[in-house]
Amino acid sequence: MIAIQTLALIRDTFREAMARKIFWGLFGLSTAMILFFLFLLRIDVVEGGTATLSMFGRSDRRMDVDQLVRGVHGGIATFLYSFGMFLSLFASAGLVPSLLEPGRIEVLLSKPVARWHLLLGRYLGNVLLVSANSVWLVGGVWVIFGLKTGVWTPQFLLAITSTVFLFSVLLTVVFLTGVLFESAALATMIPVALMIISPILAQEKTVVKLLSSDWARAVWKGLYQVLPKVFDIGHITLNLVRREPVESWMPVATSAAFAIVVLALALWHFERRDF
Amino acid sequence: MSEYAIQAQELVKIFRTRWSRREVRAVDGISFTVEPGTTFGLLGPNGAGKTTCVKILLSSIHPTAGRATLFGKDSRDLLARLPIGYLPENHRFPTYFTGAGMLDLYGSLSGMDSAARARRIPELLELVGLDKWGDVRLGKYSKGMLQRVGLAQALLHEPKLLILDEPTDGVDPVGRIQIRQILQALEAKGVTVFINSHQLAEVETFCRDVAILHKGKVALTGRVKDLTATKGFRLTARQVPEALQSELGGVATGGAAVSFQIATLEEANAALDKLRAGRSLIESLVQTSSTLEEVFVRTINPS
Repeated sequence: MIAIQTLALIRDTFREAMARKIFWGLFGLSTAMILFFLFLLRIDVVEGGTATLSMFGRSDRRMDVDQLVRGVHGGIATFLYSFGMFLSLFASAGLVPSLLEPGRIEVLLSKPVARWHLLLGRYLGNVLLVSANSVWLVGGVWVIFGLKTGVWTPQFLLAITSTVFLFSVLLTVVFLTGVLFESAALATMIPVALMIISPILAQEKTVVKLLSSDWARAVWKGLYQVLPKVFDIGHITLNLVRREPVESWMPVATSAAFAIVVLALALWHFERRDF
Repeated sequence: MSEYAIQAQELVKIFRTRWSRREVRAVDGISFTVEPGTTFGLLGPNGAGKTTCVKILLSSIHPTAGRATLFGKDSRDLLARLPIGYLPENHRFPTYFTGAGMLDLYGSLSGMDSAARARRIPELLELVGLDKWGDVRLGKYSKGMLQRVGLAQALLHEPKLLILDEPTDGVDPVGRIQIRQILQALEAKGVTVFINSHQLAEVETFCRDVAILHKGKVALTGRVKDLTATKGFRLTARQVPEALQSELGGVATGGAAVSFQIATLEEANAALDKLRAGRSLIESLVQTSSTLEEVFVRTINPS
């Protein structure tokens, strides 16, 4: 029974997300990028290691194929990680408040489904939806560049993992905010704010030297340790995509811990709430 | 182990406002029982605690104290909700679904497998008269159609207990009759039907038992036929002397007839003797009964 219910909850999330035009926008943007690389960007590999690029039949340019592929992969990963992430969060923000709408939540709660199951089912559906978009964009670009250049770099596919991971982390904030305040606006603002302050907090070593009080330094360090490290994980992603070494996995571990705590809080509050 | 379909034991629900922590006692020690296979109406004025009570039964609201059981299982137990169908008053079904799609979702959440859903969905759409509307998005449905598809949702998994909040609200007279017929058929099959409604005439016609809530407490409970049974006697006579009319509290009812409302059989006989002694002509003496509405008003406002 749990499997049937989980599938139904995921399907419901997909249906609702697709009813919101913004998810179509996200998929449309990814498809436009894929089509661009497929049809408009012509790559002619010359002498094995260099390529000429042409767009709309002009501006030929010779460059190293490997460098070209790395550059495009890095660009796609950055796009997906920043703008794609923002769009995904924006599109997801209304999915919890809509679930909690009076007249809808009562019917759901009258079914033999545990509250944690309802919320996690929606969470899972949301993550799968964004995963599908990431697989479509990254996988599509990877296949196109592989076929056009003959350079197949599986590391690029790690951009899917890191994007989905970070989205899963930030989505816990969307869910906690949604359950607490039932506001789509707040559920967008808070995770986006976390994305924005992350690069600032990440300058920990520089900032700590500039701060005069111990108290301020402790607060800065504490915030950096506790909050999800969007910037650092982005850096790790680029390193992986460019096949460069990763210095530390700590940002991944602490962000995962943050997500677990926030999701647990959301579930705990949802269990206790009256509707 | 309880054999009741529903058993509410000393339910209390206190709501506290988020900031001031001011307390509102919505439900204040409510107890009642509903026997399996019967029809039960929960009545009360606005703010009496009816919806809170229903939500406690369905675990949408956690009681501050007390306990509710459904077929002997604690209402907070997931399995207790397995045999329940529920239609809330102001439901909001997702409009991106078609009628059939919505039923498929809620059928799945009720634990029905795909074969059972494929069999039951067309049956239910036909039962509520929406067989031609199954592929139409709910956004295009009228209020009455939404109410009917909502009822189909509640009946899809063949529940043993049906909890309905204002089931005929927004439904046209033909639809009301149709819904009543569906509920009567369910009752005949042994399904317990629990109705929370303001439609007193409807409850009086359909329900065997009722509970009237007032200010968060059960003000009156019992069988409808007992509660609406003998209110008293109405004696009608002609040529009644004015002094006798005022002594017995008679009311002129048109023509020369005067009507007397008398509480007991003994008082009716005494009045009859006095009227005969006064040479009045006795036209009729009939037993009168109360409507549920009268019982309701008397319970809520005894003065």
